Amino acid sequence: MRVYEVFVKKDGRNEFRHVGALEAATDELALVLAREAYLRRAEGDRLWVVRRDHVVAAPGDFVDPNADKPHRHHDGAAVAARRMAARQSPG
Amino acid sequence: MSEPHGVREYLLAFADDEHLMGQQHTEWIGVAPFLEEDLAVSSIGQDELGHAALLYELVLDLEGVEATDLALDALAFDRPSHGYRCCHLVEYTTNDWAEALVRHWIYDTFEAMRWQLVAGSSLPKLASVARKALQEEAFHRRHADALLDKLLDAPEARDRILEALGAVYPLVEGLCEPVEGEAAAMSAGMAAASTADLLEPLHQAIEARFGRSDSIGSRTASLQNRQNRRTTRSADFDPLLQRMREVLDYDPGAVW
Repeated sequence: MRVYEVFVKKDGRNEFRHVGALEAATDELALVLAREAYLRRAEGDRLWVVRRDHVVAAPGDFVDPNADKPHRHHDGAAVAARRMAARQSPG
Repeated sequence: MSEPHGVREYLLAFADDEHLMGQQHTEWIGVAPFLEEDLAVSSIGQDELGHAALLYELVLDLEGVEATDLALDALAFDRPSHGYRCCHLVEYTTNDWAEALVRHWIYDTFEAMRWQLVAGSSLPKLASVARKALQEEAFHRRHADALLDKLLDAPEARDRILEALGAVYPLVEGLCEPVEGEAAAMSAGMAAASTADLLEPLHQAIEARFGRSDSIGSRTASLQNRQNRRTTRSADFDPLLQRMREVLDYDPGAVW
């Protein structure tokens, strides 16, 4: 048995969303079983199953260094804070 | 035999097969070989029970009875056992998952052919139920085929599947045995051909799926040998009906 990740797309939306996983012996069985496990109430109109061992996964610490780069956040908070500080300074 | 009576018998045989098959599938909930299969087989069972309910409605229509939940329950559960018209294949208590799977494949293969026969029925409601059912049957068959493709490919599993086929196979002929009223139902335009005409294509489909197996043995060429199997009940029927009625019997008058 292999583990498959299941993705479903809803009518009118562009993206496939991950909805869960299942075990199946073949690709065809994975499709048939995913249909019953995740689409029995017509939760979507398109279905992908992807073998988990075919997923290219990054190591866990792959994105960690990017957690400390506030300058890449463009919500304006850093600039606003500096302007506020400038207005309040006596000079 | 009068036409309305024949039509009733014909619809009842179809409905009872669907009802019992649906029940048999649902009995795998929680005990199927793996979780995903639990869901799949019970979902298929639900479909069959849905077909049964729609067919029972047609029977009530014919009797001029309003198809309320109570009336449907009375028809589905409250007949004496000699009033049922199911075949022995759907009554059969399987010994293991292999037998259940083989029966599932054989029954759904037959069922798709049977719906084809009524897809152009003179009864518009029956024709419309057939269209819905045929869509569902394609998936039922695909489910059974996907499992069998894998299992028949592995020597040990193949042996078990063929052994199961040997156990279930003698009941195939009874599946295709029509009820006595079928001729009258056909002259009323209910179906395009007799249920008996499905025996040969079903045999061919079984051979194509499982190969010419020793477990099949010699097959019967046609339904020469009528045994009124749809009016007699096998030993497995009464316990099955009891299981089906288990909740209902706690409080027969309950309104759901």
